[in-house]
Parts: sequence; structure tokens; C-alpha cells
Amino acid sequence: MSNVDATIREVLDTHGRLPMVASSLSDDDDLFENGLTSHASVNVMLALEDAFDIEFPDELLRKSTFESVGAIRSALESLGVVVTPG
Amino acid sequence: MKILVGIDVQPIDEVEASIREFGARYSRRLFTIHELESCGENPLTMARGLAARFAAKEAVLKILDTRGTVPSWKAIEVRRTEGGQPEIVLSGEAAELARRQGVGPMALSLSHGGAIATAVVVAQLKKRQFGTSR
Repeated sequence: MSNVDATIREVLDTHGRLPMVASSLSDDDDLFENGLTSHASVNVMLALEDAFDIEFPDELLRKSTFESVGAIRSALESLGVVVTPG
Repeated sequence: MKILVGIDVQPIDEVEASIREFGARYSRRLFTIHELESCGENPLTMARGLAARFAAKEAVLKILDTRGTVPSWKAIEVRRTEGGQPEIVLSGEAAELARRQGVGPMALSLSHGGAIATAVVVAQLKKRQFGTSR
């Protein structure tokens, strides 16, 4: 698991209010179908900003940005976050 | 004629917790200036007002067919009319989705009781403009 994936899952565990641990989810699993609420996704977004010292631009402030671990990773990469193998 | 209904609930304590943890970063990312001004500065009334507005945004998303395009939260705004009634004002992608899908003006009701805020949105589905799967 990459450094970014590990941090995404850590943030999901602390702010996502998911009924399972995030490490049990695949990159493509739909987070909303697995219990992530829209409101919790906002907290996840803000916690990711803190974790990576970034700011999501307005065009990424929508539910689809946070629909899976893979989608979140793609958004982070588009903001310049570098993914390195763990 | 087809009537569309969207409903959503939002626990108020979740909004309070987000305000406590993230402060203005939270509120300014989700809500327009008008929405923030409508809810005042009293922490209790602000949290329940924002919770109801977040529920309204989600209720609108349940009316629109968001496959392919999910509007941003601030593109769905709750405004107060001069008479004090809440109304939905769409902009950007949300307005474009509604236009393409033939979703007419929306009626909105907000409420809160105990720990929960809720919103109901009703709209008329007009004749399709073009290219929608609804």
C-alpha cells in the first residue's frame, strides 16, 4: 500500500464514520454504498487537506471526488500529491 | 405530469462537531455567503440552520439525475424570500442539469426537531429539453 493510500484509509477511519475499517475496502469499492454519508465526506475532505497540506479547489468539492479510495487518490495526485510505494 | 420529491435528514450534532473541528473552513466550503448570513452567529441556531440547508442540498441531489455529473454543494443554494420562505436557487452545473432534465422550479420545506434537521423538496418534471435518461 502506498503512503497516500495508507493516509487516505487512516482519514476514512477517523472521519468517515464507516461501519468497517477502511483497510477492508478495495480501491474501487463505492464508499457511499459502504456507509460514507455526504456530510462525513466533507469531514474526510477537510482532514485530507490537513494531512497533505493542500486545498481542494471548488471544482473538486463534490461527492464524486470522494466516492472511492481510488477516486480520492486520483484527486490528490491531480493536486500534486506524490504517491510512493509503501 | 410527474412530481419529483426529494427528502433528506441531517444530524445537527454532526454539523456542530464539524464546525468545532474545522471552523470556517467547513462552513465556507459548503455554504454560500447568503446561507451563512441566514443562519446567524448564535452557535445553536447556526448549526441547526446549516444542517437543514445541507439536508436541502442533498434532497435536491435526489431529485436530479446525477449520473455523470454531480453538482458542487454551493451550486445548490437555499435562499430566503422577502417573505421569509426558503427557496432553492440553482446555479452552474446544478442549474444546467435541471434544465436538461426538465426539472421545474422547486418548492422547499425545512424543519428541525431534537437532534435532527430535515428538508423536503418537490418539483414538477416538465417536458424534457433533450437527452436525458429519466
